Amino acid sequence: MTGNTPVLEIKGLRIALPKGADRPFALDGLDLTVNPGEIVCLVGESGSGKSLTAGAIMRLLPEPHVYVADGAIRFEGEDLLALSEARMKAIRGDRIAQIFQEPMTALNPQKSVGWQLDEVLRLHTELGKTDRKARVIEMLERVKIPDPASAYNAYPHQISGGQRQRVMIAMALSLSPRLIIADEPTTALDVTTQLQILRLIRELQEQDGAGVLFITHDFGVVAEIADKVAVLCKGELVEQGPAQEVLNRPQHAYTQALIAAIPALTPPAPRDFTGAPVVLEAKGLVKTFAARGGMFSGKRKAVKAVSDLSFVLRRGETLGVVGESGSGKTTVSRIVTRLLESDTGSVTVEGTDLLACSPRELRRMRQYIQMVFQDPMASLNPRKRVEALIAQGPIVHGVDPKEARERARKLLELVELSPAAASRFPHEFSGGQRQRIGIARALAMEPRVIVADEPVSALDVSVQAQVLKLLGDLRDRLDLSLLFVTHDLRVAAQLCDRLIVMQKGEIVETGVTAEIFADPQHPYTRKLLDSIPGRGWTPPVICPDAA
Amino acid sequence: MTHITTELPKPEPHRAVLLWRRFARNRAALLGLGIFVVVLIMAATAGLIEPTDPLRRAGVPLTKPFVDWATPLGTDQLGRDILASLFYGARISLLVGVLATLLSIAIGVVIGAVSGYFGGWIDDVLMRTTEAFQTIPNFVLLLALVAILGSSIEYITVAIAIVSWTAPARMVRAEFMSLRGREFVDAARNLGVSNTAIIFREILPNALPPIVVYASVIMALSILLESALAFLGLGDPNHASWGNMIGQGRAVLRSDWYCAAIPGTAIILTVLSFSLLGEGLNDALNPRQKK
Repeated sequence: MTGNTPVLEIKGLRIALPKGADRPFALDGLDLTVNPGEIVCLVGESGSGKSLTAGAIMRLLPEPHVYVADGAIRFEGEDLLALSEARMKAIRGDRIAQIFQEPMTALNPQKSVGWQLDEVLRLHTELGKTDRKARVIEMLERVKIPDPASAYNAYPHQISGGQRQRVMIAMALSLSPRLIIADEPTTALDVTTQLQILRLIRELQEQDGAGVLFITHDFGVVAEIADKVAVLCKGELVEQGPAQEVLNRPQHAYTQALIAAIPALTPPAPRDFTGAPVVLEAKGLVKTFAARGGMFSGKRKAVKAVSDLSFVLRRGETLGVVGESGSGKTTVSRIVTRLLESDTGSVTVEGTDLLACSPRELRRMRQYIQMVFQDPMASLNPRKRVEALIAQGPIVHGVDPKEARERARKLLELVELSPAAASRFPHEFSGGQRQRIGIARALAMEPRVIVADEPVSALDVSVQAQVLKLLGDLRDRLDLSLLFVTHDLRVAAQLCDRLIVMQKGEIVETGVTAEIFADPQHPYTRKLLDSIPGRGWTPPVICPDAA
Repeated sequence: MTHITTELPKPEPHRAVLLWRRFARNRAALLGLGIFVVVLIMAATAGLIEPTDPLRRAGVPLTKPFVDWATPLGTDQLGRDILASLFYGARISLLVGVLATLLSIAIGVVIGAVSGYFGGWIDDVLMRTTEAFQTIPNFVLLLALVAILGSSIEYITVAIAIVSWTAPARMVRAEFMSLRGREFVDAARNLGVSNTAIIFREILPNALPPIVVYASVIMALSILLESALAFLGLGDPNHASWGNMIGQGRAVLRSDWYCAAIPGTAIILTVLSFSLLGEGLNDALNPRQKK
């Protein structure tokens, strides 16, 4: 304790949910203190009530359905819940600032960056026009945007995602607020950009001495930035304490489970596949995206997504394709399954070139190569029952519908879901369960190869671990080959025998996972590995108590 | 792991029950449903409750309503029973409304779906054709079609469908364009499902809710179009339709206003009921749009 009043003090906060929700209170008895110059991380899985905390502090809850039922929120000693709306408006943005998750939607696409930063100053200060402009440019410099003068006139879509988040930070900090609420500010960003943004937040906060309430689901980020950690589970505060304490000696069972679920950065022991038969061979894949013009206008500039890509996948092997957004890794997964047409090259499965198949042959070939998609909600037709979803593939390929449905029920068991799931619709399941259904659907075709495109990115850590384990088990039991596309090196380290590292459509490095992690050759691979949040922190091995 | 995530949540009530609950929450929609049911009963019982042929003389011409109980709503200038005409007219109006709507939605869905799913030059061709139809004012095109085809009730229905398929086509196209990029469509393609099956079995059920809602609008519009045609004397003279009644009542509007006002009220109420129904369906089928 420094002796002066805390910036933010929350006492016994309860937020009520409307009737019929899964629990009566979104938050039940939250106590939290943020001191000046301190970064407090509020950690929890989706649905734990962490974002509603931010809403309650800003008094921006979707009332009257969701409202503060009990408790106090004091900002520099002042009770926020008792303030008038007009007073609250003056505090918002001026003394409490918020940084959002998705900088593209938080910025107005119609106005230039400079205009939007200027607006904040115009509303909250008495500065003249030239002073304001000078201040905006200064702020853009502080958040290290290259060439602030040109960024001033740029529109949000003209700058990169990382730069947009910098602009958001500049906007939040331009009035030197005492409290900054950052709600998952780096979740939408690539790892390398994430690290830069985290460092920037840390640095600026140290200069200004503001308090930061940092909301995140990622313990890696916590290890990177936090002074203090509060862990939320289903609206209840289960553990709170200094970061080092919570990260290395978690007390509560839930925190222990969460930390145990974080994939360690130790790749599996290398397995030898040189003798195994090749099940998939890709040669010289090239894909350029030509933007389509109108009926009479000419073609626009083409973008090269993948250039000259070749690899082999052997039976029982898992090949990881890693890279940041825009590296072309998703394009690879779509070309290999021929959801996208490649410009040139070949993909050989079962001795047939998939890319040269006629539509009829292609439909027959599809049974050998199946896909698990990123977003389990979007990839399951919401109007179909689970049984129909899983049985669809085999039925299309001529299996008797009755038999196919019976097999679907058996597959549900294989992915550890109860057979009662068969007659439900996708929206009745949680994210992890949906992804299990997606896996069952892919398995129903009895494929040789499964292409998994970011299969666990949309899931919470603890669920992630379970789905990854399931994928690994199934691979070994059914002798499957996996082509595993991911941006997350921690996830890749869990499952992949070999890795392909991609940057801007090209392979920069390829090799056995353990070797790449131990001794990366290419500078880009090194940068990727260095940017993994919390790489300096090894999650403690927790011996389960007597429980 | 302390918590196992493979346990299933409680089963939801049946989809129809959910739909009805959301629909019934809207009072106006219930009113619309009520009026619609009344019109439906009128159409179904025409000839049973009121046995007189609506085209035959039933009493003294221009009897006022509530004077003679043989003709409770009075008679028109040829002595025809207005109540009987009203019942038979309900049948014609609903028939035209339902058939024209089904036909126009069918045309619209096929054109919109093909256009939105395939895109490229197919989309260009189909959409330019649709725009060609859209540039001609609806009613003018309808008049031209009826003038060419003749004014029997079947042709009128077809003509109404031909002038009203463009809006649903554009709507279906927009739905398909957004849905075809969704992962579940890729998933189906990856299973080897054919294009036709993807369009009609995978995407269409997901695109249906807004179409169903819009169908109620088309239904109301078709009834209005048919009435307008009849009002201009281009309706089918062999059937008592509400528009016909207004058209003939127009001649005696100043002395015996009820001849036009009664069928007019019937049209207003029916169209209103469709519009309220549409709103209720919108609440029931697209629950996330509101709030």
